[in-house]
Amino acid sequence: MTDGLRDLVAACRQGSEPYQALIDRVPYAAFLGIEITARGEELTFVLPKRDTNLGNPTLPALHGGAVAGFMEQAAIIFLLLEMGEPRVPKTIDFTMDYLRAGHFRDTFAECRVTRLGRRVANVHISAWQVRRPEPIAIARAHFLLSEESATEPPE
Amino acid sequence: MTRLDVCRRFVASVRHSTELGIEVLEAHEDRVRTRMAASPQLVGNPDSGIMHGGAIFALMDQAGGLANACLIFPSFEITPTIDMRVDHLRAPAPGKAVICDAECYRLSQHVAFVRMSVYEEGDEEGEMLATGLATYMRMKLPGASKVVA
Repeated sequence: MTDGLRDLVAACRQGSEPYQALIDRVPYAAFLGIEITARGEELTFVLPKRDTNLGNPTLPALHGGAVAGFMEQAAIIFLLLEMGEPRVPKTIDFTMDYLRAGHFRDTFAECRVTRLGRRVANVHISAWQVRRPEPIAIARAHFLLSEESATEPPE
Repeated sequence: MTRLDVCRRFVASVRHSTELGIEVLEAHEDRVRTRMAASPQLVGNPDSGIMHGGAIFALMDQAGGLANACLIFPSFEITPTIDMRVDHLRAPAPGKAVICDAECYRLSQHVAFVRMSVYEEGDEEGEMLATGLATYMRMKLPGASKVVA
């Protein structure tokens, strides 16, 4: 049996497919409009300003759920591309702290794996709009990983 | 105007919630029940067709805000989320709508404390898909009630 996403992850990691191809394969990521940029091996995720992600009508501000979904998706893509996780990791829990209002403008996110265990990854995600040291939200999440590694040949 | 009216107007004013297809089914003083239909655009894993955890998070965040509105009804406030934690207990079956119940169990002068439970539609008495715990800031914005007027 072939795993469609696994082949694509491998191709992205080898450089024969752009990273964005992976995002485009995930309907929810496309729904939010997520983009990915890489400088060297460093990944930055972008949630472009889009009125479908608006929440509070009085401010106007981004919907907290859209920002959280963006950050969760960023962490999942990060685990797939940087950690070579072959299957979509399952979110065990997701904890979000909203630090500043998410204004109606582009939002960026970066991820850091705090601990990569055999079955569980602890990931820290930070999102900002103006300057990286002034995050609008930070999140911490645990993901359940699959038991196989990306380097294993497909069956 | 009833609690249900306020909740439905509130959701209608939030663009991303309407994009997600969030509906309000019931609104009581101590509990609100919301629904989000399964839709192809909310799929998080293209291989399994399972709904994205982020979409469920957004539903729960919105439901929490509604729970606050229900408790302070007929008054209305904007209540941005301070923090929220979601535990994903199990995945919804592909194609199944999800139901989120939210309850504000403590309202202090400035902070609302809310818990949420998510079920598969048709299994609201059964096993939960996700639980959530959140805090919201009670912003005393003049004219906030215009949102649902």
